[in-house]
Amino acid sequence: MSKPRPPVALYLHLPFCLARCPYCDFVVYAGGDARGPRARTEHLYAAVARELELRADALDGRFGRPDVGGPREPLRSVYFGGGTPSLVPVEWLERLLAVVRDRYGVVSDAEVTLEANPGPEERGDPAAFRRVGFTRISFGAQSLDEGELRRLGRRHSPDDVAAAVAGARAAGIGSVNLDLLYDVPGQSLAAWETTLQAALALRPDHLSLYALTLDDPDAEGITGREGDHLPTPPGARRWRERARLEQDEDRAADQYGLATDLLAAEGWRGYEISNWSRPGHESRHNLAYWERRPYEAVGPGAHAFDGVVRRWNAATKDPYIAALLPAQGAAAEPPGGRETITPETATSERIILALRLDVGVPAAWADRSPLADSREWAESAGLLESMEVGGEARLRLTLRGRLLSNELFARLV
Amino acid sequence: MRAGAISGRPSRDRERSGTAARRIDDSSWAFLLAGILMAMNAERDGRIPQDRLRNFSIIAHIDHGKTTLSDRLLELTHTIDARQMTSQVLDSMDLEREKGITIKARAVRLEYQAADGLTYGLNLIDTPGHVDFSYEVSRSLQACEGAILVVDATQGIEAQTLANVHMALRQNLTIIPVLNKIDLPSAQTDVVIEELESVLAIPREEVLLASAKDGTGVLEILEAIVARVPPPKGDPEAPVEGLIFDSHYDAYKGVVVYVRLAQGTLRQHDIIRLMGSGAEAELLELGFFRPQLVPVSELRAGDVGYVATGLKSVRDAQVGDTVTTLPRPAAHPLPGYQPAKTLVFAGIYPVVGADYPVLRDAMEKLHLNDASFSFEPESSVALGFGFRCGFLGLLHMEIVQERLEREFGQELIASAPSVEYRVVLINNQGLVTVDNPSKMPNAGEIEEIQEPWVKLSVVSPSNFIGTLMELATNRRGSFLGMEYLDPQRVLLTFELPLGEVIVDFYDQLKSRTQGYASMDYEEAGYRAANLVKVDVLVAGEPVDALSVIVHRDRAQPVGRELVHRLRGLIPRQMFEIAIQAAIGSTVIARESVAAMRKNVLAKCYGGDISRKKKLLEKQKEGKQRMKRVGSVEIPQEAFLAVLRMDDV
Ligand SMILES: Nc1nc2c(ncn2[C@@H]2O[C@H](COP(=O)(O)OP(=O)(O)OP(=O)(O)O)[C@@H](O)[C@H]2O)c(=O)[nH]1
Ligand code: SF4
Ligand SMILES: [Mg+2]
Repeated sequence: MSKPRPPVALYLHLPFCLARCPYCDFVVYAGGDARGPRARTEHLYAAVARELELRADALDGRFGRPDVGGPREPLRSVYFGGGTPSLVPVEWLERLLAVVRDRYGVVSDAEVTLEANPGPEERGDPAAFRRVGFTRISFGAQSLDEGELRRLGRRHSPDDVAAAVAGARAAGIGSVNLDLLYDVPGQSLAAWETTLQAALALRPDHLSLYALTLDDPDAEGITGREGDHLPTPPGARRWRERARLEQDEDRAADQYGLATDLLAAEGWRGYEISNWSRPGHESRHNLAYWERRPYEAVGPGAHAFDGVVRRWNAATKDPYIAALLPAQGAAAEPPGGRETITPETATSERIILALRLDVGVPAAWADRSPLADSREWAESAGLLESMEVGGEARLRLTLRGRLLSNELFARLV
Repeated sequence: MRAGAISGRPSRDRERSGTAARRIDDSSWAFLLAGILMAMNAERDGRIPQDRLRNFSIIAHIDHGKTTLSDRLLELTHTIDARQMTSQVLDSMDLEREKGITIKARAVRLEYQAADGLTYGLNLIDTPGHVDFSYEVSRSLQACEGAILVVDATQGIEAQTLANVHMALRQNLTIIPVLNKIDLPSAQTDVVIEELESVLAIPREEVLLASAKDGTGVLEILEAIVARVPPPKGDPEAPVEGLIFDSHYDAYKGVVVYVRLAQGTLRQHDIIRLMGSGAEAELLELGFFRPQLVPVSELRAGDVGYVATGLKSVRDAQVGDTVTTLPRPAAHPLPGYQPAKTLVFAGIYPVVGADYPVLRDAMEKLHLNDASFSFEPESSVALGFGFRCGFLGLLHMEIVQERLEREFGQELIASAPSVEYRVVLINNQGLVTVDNPSKMPNAGEIEEIQEPWVKLSVVSPSNFIGTLMELATNRRGSFLGMEYLDPQRVLLTFELPLGEVIVDFYDQLKSRTQGYASMDYEEAGYRAANLVKVDVLVAGEPVDALSVIVHRDRAQPVGRELVHRLRGLIPRQMFEIAIQAAIGSTVIARESVAAMRKNVLAKCYGGDISRKKKLLEKQKEGKQRMKRVGSVEIPQEAFLAVLRMDDV
């Protein structure tokens, strides 16, 4: 049984958006819940700051203060996700980062990411972001096709994406990512290629290409009081039902294959199932998840992991604020839940997460269960292939294997 | 189609609120009075002389108001505590209440103080009206000297009215005709009385008018029972002969058998013997149905009651067996019952293969309470281990399946219903019966296939004659005759292959006649037919559970339809899958399921890991529940969905 370890990464969830996109199932407050007195945005930011302190206190107690070379190393990455954190007043971003630096420590070459939307009212001031310490901006571009953006319910245009990237570059942001969606209703293979080409023309450093996924958190039973997701609004539910009818497995597979070929030809590295980068621009923060390193997390709906226990906050913001900013008395941990990972589950998680990466897993892992039981099947089905990295035999997913990875993963859980 | 087969006619507004019950509920003095009367009755239990016993069934077409009339009889005789009174109180099974129909006959002992000042013991049996359960009716009638024939005054004589009356007449029972629902404005009292007279030769003077709903005329029915139904015969001093007409299993009391005592007297602590099985036991408890089990000290010739045997093996006490006592046993068992003739056959399988032993136990226990279905172990490539079961009809099949699921907590899957074929083999190799299409011999070994036919009676308004004729012809039927019941209504008779009737014939009948026609059928022997077996193959492997036997002319469309449906239900897999329909080795339809190309979690970040893991676990569970045909994984639901589509 492994022991709890101090985090190498920190995630902050800042849940406000201008409008809620119908396919989104992040913890998001939008519209009237994100603006005006009812939104209590300032309270939420203050609560997040408070939670940062509270979690840091606990880490201090378990591992001591952060210290280079000590049992608790400073963070190697910080990620402000959402929602649309670029909407957060820069003073608050600065304050939160100050708490992070003070209480968690941040290595000098840390990756500090901010999620942003490209629209003019949403993308914020990249120079200010740079000034307060962000090194990387990830834009929710989704598409560079005007019509698709409309159909996805997005408010920005392809030109906004270009302007946002240019602004980030001008401000000296060292690493820029674009999120793009495929398997979008009405999106032909050619349209996808056009979006990809247009994205490449903006010269980003990193691309996250996601199949539009229309899950139903309500059906999964994760939207209750302690749940880490919010109920799906009825409008979004209807939108998804319609959109699902226009999704197409074959088209999606072709789109994925096309992206893989096109980006490889441009010298990009598809280092994870849905992530490509120019060499050296892999997301250090996200790699921590796939490499199953410990991470701390704050904000409504956020998940943390210490190597043994996975802990999450409930998604609802008012109880979150109430716990952390009580009218009187001391701040308490916000509502949420936790799950202790058994050694067997840890093993299967480790394999599944690592197989998402292009470097795959050491071939030796296949000597033991659960991979041992599925290796032959996966190889003969063309999902898994052997390779060598630095003299070490490894196993990784083929292109078909990435597309059909759940078929293998479901055998490993 | 099942739902349609069960619900009554669409025009009827079924009320289940129990107005009468509430009326009584409100007055607390009624409790008291009822309580006192019950106490007095209890004291008199068993002491009512035999000449004051009356045993009768209530029979009718489905929904004509038998159970509602029983309510009133129970009420008027203070059999049931007013607080416990609900509408259709004898329909106590969940399924009965949900479907609004009686499934099982129920016996109740009433004590009635008649106008002559004497107390009579009445044994009432409420029977089901649906055609599938006519076996329950025939068994009930065997325990009676009389029958109340209920006819809905708004509907008149219907198909089961005729069938049930004929059954009662065959047993020489006194029939008390009751026109029910006269409270309804649409009641056509005169027309229906006319009908009874002309069609069933029932004199109009004998007909009683009643509303089971508001209680009108019910007292007159009780008086008519006392006056017209003869008391049972039988000698209380003779050796005991009791016919088991039903039973259930009780965890404490063991097998509880329901008996009609023909001879002798049963007392507590008697040593009983079941003459068929030879099982012996000390009688634990005996009593009456009121309608719950109420112990008494003895049951005498002519009584209907229950006997707790303490026997643990359900096989020891079968319906139709005779109970006697030691040391002075009866010389011969009673004739028993004609075993129920099962007409519809299907495989029933546990969804989870490991549940097979549990299912077997459940089948045995349920069989005790419903002796009319049969079951035998069988196994299927697609469905694993299960049972081939025989049923009285499709509704019966559905009810058995649902009872197994509910009362025994089983999740089940049933194969498509089939009739029993007779197959004459070539070279005088004899004749085999086949109740499972997948067991049909190869075409090359078959000289001839014979299928069961039925004589079908349909009662319908005369303006639907044309469409009914067409329906019967489409189903390979032939017209036998037509008889006017009254100027607007006819009785049509046809002959049809049973296999054509058990598909969706009833639904078709109802929809073509806006719900107005009713039907009944009886066996009419076997006839040679031009039938073929259509197999469904998935990736070259036959899916035995999906084989069907159809008329050669329909093989192609049926095959195409099956293949098409299955194609839509088999999820894409790692490789392309061919789905074919074939007669022998000749493929008559083909489609394919393309290989799966994408099954991937696009996003897997910090917050997603647990969630996605759960999704993967679900996928894995789903896979474990899949049935494997060759290398193809087919979800149970696909079979279920194909199997549920009866109207192929
Ligand atoms: N208006 C009116 N409705 C009645 C009367 N008797 C019965 N009903 C209604 O007719 C419907 C059928 O009554 P049941 O007593 O369940 O009929 P059944 O003959 O026992 O039906 P099965 O057991 O399914 O054959 C119910 O909705 C009753 O409320 C009556 O005298 N008047
Ligand atoms: S902007 Fe992003 S986080 Fe906000 S609702 Fe849309 S997809 Fe979700
Ligand atoms: Mg009834």
